[in-house]
Amino acid sequence: MSVIQGEKKKKVGVLLLLSMLGLLILLPFAVTTTFASGEEEAVAEEGDGEPKMGKDVFYKEEGQFGPISSRPAPELVYPDDYGTYGDYQSRTILWIANQQHLYFGSFVLAVPMFVWVMELIGILKYGKDPKEGKKFDDLAHEMMKISLTAYSVTAILGGILIFTFLALYPGFFGYLASIFRPVMHLYALLFILESGVLYVYYYGWDAFNDGNGDWKWTHLGLCTLLNAVGIVLMVMANTWVSFMMSPAGVDEAGHFLGDIWKVMHNPLMVPIVIHRILGNMSFGGGVVAAYAAFRFLSATNQAEKAHYDWMSYIASFMAVMFLIPLPFAGYWLMREIYGYRQQMGITLMGGLLAWVFIMQATMIATLFITVNYYLMQAMGRIPGSERYHGAFKFILAILVISTISWLTPHTLVMTPAELKAMGGAQHPIVGNYGVMSAKNTAINTMITTTVATFLIYQRSNFNLKVPWAWKGNIFLVCLFALAELNILFLGIYGYFIPANVRIGLSVPQVASTLTCLFVGSTINAKMLKGAEPIGEIRWGQMSRRGAYALFMLAVAFTWTMAVMGYLRSSVRLHWHVNEILRDNSPWAFTNPLGYAGNINSLNVLLFWTMLLFVFWLASLYATKSPLAREAEARGEVVAASH
Amino acid sequence: MIKIRNKTLFAQIMAIILAVPMLAWAGGGGATGFIDAGTFALVIEVGLALGAIILATVVKKMGMPLPKLVQAPILWAVCYIAFRVILQPPIPFSLLAMYMGVCTVCILLYCSLTTESWEEFSNPIAKMLRANSGGAKMSRYATFVILPGLIAFQTYDMMLPKFGEPIELRTVHPAPPASINTHKKVINLQTAENPFRIGDDGNYLKVGDESKYFGGNAWTGDVPVFLQKVQEGGQVFFGTAGCFFCHGDNLDGLGPFSFAFNPIPANFADSGTIAQLQESFVFWRVAKGGPDLSREAFPWASAMPPWEKHLTTPEIWKVIIFEYWHTGFFPRTWG
Ligand code: HEC
Repeated sequence: MSVIQGEKKKKVGVLLLLSMLGLLILLPFAVTTTFASGEEEAVAEEGDGEPKMGKDVFYKEEGQFGPISSRPAPELVYPDDYGTYGDYQSRTILWIANQQHLYFGSFVLAVPMFVWVMELIGILKYGKDPKEGKKFDDLAHEMMKISLTAYSVTAILGGILIFTFLALYPGFFGYLASIFRPVMHLYALLFILESGVLYVYYYGWDAFNDGNGDWKWTHLGLCTLLNAVGIVLMVMANTWVSFMMSPAGVDEAGHFLGDIWKVMHNPLMVPIVIHRILGNMSFGGGVVAAYAAFRFLSATNQAEKAHYDWMSYIASFMAVMFLIPLPFAGYWLMREIYGYRQQMGITLMGGLLAWVFIMQATMIATLFITVNYYLMQAMGRIPGSERYHGAFKFILAILVISTISWLTPHTLVMTPAELKAMGGAQHPIVGNYGVMSAKNTAINTMITTTVATFLIYQRSNFNLKVPWAWKGNIFLVCLFALAELNILFLGIYGYFIPANVRIGLSVPQVASTLTCLFVGSTINAKMLKGAEPIGEIRWGQMSRRGAYALFMLAVAFTWTMAVMGYLRSSVRLHWHVNEILRDNSPWAFTNPLGYAGNINSLNVLLFWTMLLFVFWLASLYATKSPLAREAEARGEVVAASH
Repeated sequence: MIKIRNKTLFAQIMAIILAVPMLAWAGGGGATGFIDAGTFALVIEVGLALGAIILATVVKKMGMPLPKLVQAPILWAVCYIAFRVILQPPIPFSLLAMYMGVCTVCILLYCSLTTESWEEFSNPIAKMLRANSGGAKMSRYATFVILPGLIAFQTYDMMLPKFGEPIELRTVHPAPPASINTHKKVINLQTAENPFRIGDDGNYLKVGDESKYFGGNAWTGDVPVFLQKVQEGGQVFFGTAGCFFCHGDNLDGLGPFSFAFNPIPANFADSGTIAQLQESFVFWRVAKGGPDLSREAFPWASAMPPWEKHLTTPEIWKVIIFEYWHTGFFPRTWG
């Protein structure tokens, strides 16, 4: 009887999932119909005659012209089109509201991606070892729990952001809304779907949990859907931002030309989206790792310590995995920006905002050094890692040298006396490290080194047993040495060739790095087949410095996001929408570095304060009631609290 | 324990490695020596790193490892000497501070890499703070007198009025305008190309392809079109305009007038100036000079004259060709 019922239930579940997926597939159709109706409307507005045509600011040749379908971009006037709170910079208020929403938004977007991976691993492992499988499943569940609280915070912040826009920048927001009207609505509607799926997914966790059966797979299907909707949401919001930087689909006066896809698919949209997704993942991993570190430090018993030690490792692994391709995505974005407007590129990298880039470089270097340091601390709990202690300082030395050349600025800050002493604005030796060739070399070296540290981490616990171990070791050493030589050689060679060819060089450089990553980790994994552990890993015995390193990592992530967000936004200079809608408020100037740094730090602080509250809530939830504790003391079994 | 023979061997290797940078320095070090600046920097870095490592190994092998608490300040001093004394010409303080900041953090990380080394580093400090022996007490007193003293001195030093000129956060390469108006023509800086990049076949010579003309003599009778243009550009540089008075006859920014100006004229032979710029950007700088620098290039102090008042558009393009040819750099392109 119950078996049949179970079967029935499963069928219903699968049906449910399929229909939801179907809904999602229908979405694009819904979108196109909305747009199509938008076009009709345009024609109608023009009255009987042919619609007037406008020339696209970006698209050339075919599709260069489109029917003028909206009013032009307004000429904003201060104070009529801007709201203020006394003398306070409206821009800064908006800046903070935006940044906070973005932090939480990217966090709740990233966590389900991890959860998806964790749940999948859990299901796959369940067959062989249910206990191990459950461990991963619980981890996924716990991550989701943090994300759920953060989800409502995101929504609140989103509301605050919209109200801030309406209150302080009504003119600008009105224009943006006039263009993105249908997309904005769709965005809001999609949130209903997102929330629905999220709640079913989270609250159905135990109900759907049959180890690795159909129900569990259905549950994972829900997570897939959740992620799909999440990504669509992010892409939509990104198109608004990239439209502000590099508008398309409108004419010079800002008339909408009837094709919303052209507006969304503006020149910088794709690179920004890619960069953001990778960044979000990295950031999400970093925050979860920080959560685990927080619980690790505050744990009162050994079991808890061990659990959070393990969790922090898994989460930071995820963070690093997405951190590694991030610089490459960044270069691509930069290149597209230069391609779009030389002016914008120079403002960013060589001109007005170049110093902000140095701040960012500092953060990136901090990230890589911290990751390596954390792995070294984490090896403290692995018996057998002592064999590698000698290598640590060399790894650190390589990182320091790379960092120093990575940080060397192109334009130096100096007093006139120092300038005279140096004999020019460029230093004959140091100047060589201020250019792209040196930077590429440095970052590739740092990444390769991080990969090497990670391989060491993986094998530190084992005595290799495969017969070809020595050959494998020689191969690995040669692989890394050759890759590094190649990176260095190309870096130096880059000084002797034109810039456009030099940019091409970064491809083989990156290829060396990625070869190390993929070939290295594959060989390493093969070598670990049947290897004999030297001792049991002492989970929970990582040094406290390791936990602090994870905090550092997460804070560095948030700071980097703040800095780069500021940079991306302020490169528009005095434009709301680049070259289309001018910022006529009194705050259309570029902030001094110190001010920007302070507001960024304030943002980071605010975010972490809220986040610590979320963490605390999560630990509160896990705390047993006094009654349960008493019962436990009496030796009775109590149901788990979640 | 190792034998005495090995010890000397180690010492010798170390001496050689340490000597390489010194030799390089003796050989000129700067742009004119037998070894160019970039190589020199590389040698210094590698040499110092290896030297320090070998030194540490030797000391350890000889059976007297330095405690971490001693190693740290030694390492710090080595870094300081490298950046402050060995690296010439002197780097500005802001850069030195940045480098030393990185070194300081990394030395601390080095001391705490493993639990053993962290204990080795921190135990003496903890002992000094906690122990009840006479020695610990003495060092406590000393520390708590010297440390505040140092801070007091630094505060005093900071408050002292200084007479040096203030630091200028100058943007050497400000963003160019989208287009400029020269000799009654609008030039779009995003797309403008040098009309005198002409290959042997008379077509536009792609950036990079001109390398085949590098190093040749442009001043002999029968030369390819491109070199003719170089020659004409050279005429402008040394004759018509006399750029060399400021930018130097080696294009290194060290012309006879150069020291009168602040900022000093650009050094085209450095990889940080024209090698980083698009030809159209350079055109803008030459045509409009210091007076037309954009707002962000505060304080607009450049003495570079606006050459559009004295040269024709073709002359400006040609002198640009000459500058790239002479220095062997390529203009930046995207795409
Ligand atoms: C009166 C001295 C003087 C003369 C003559 C002179 N320059 Fe300059 N030039 C300067 C100064 C000063 C700068 C600015 C350096 C700075 O901003 O750091 C400069 C900058 C430049 C730059 C910009 C380089 C960069 O990296 O942005 C170019 C290109 C240039 N000069 C080309 C020329 C050419 C070509 C001529 C001859 C037609 C010429 N200069 C003549 C003084 C001079």
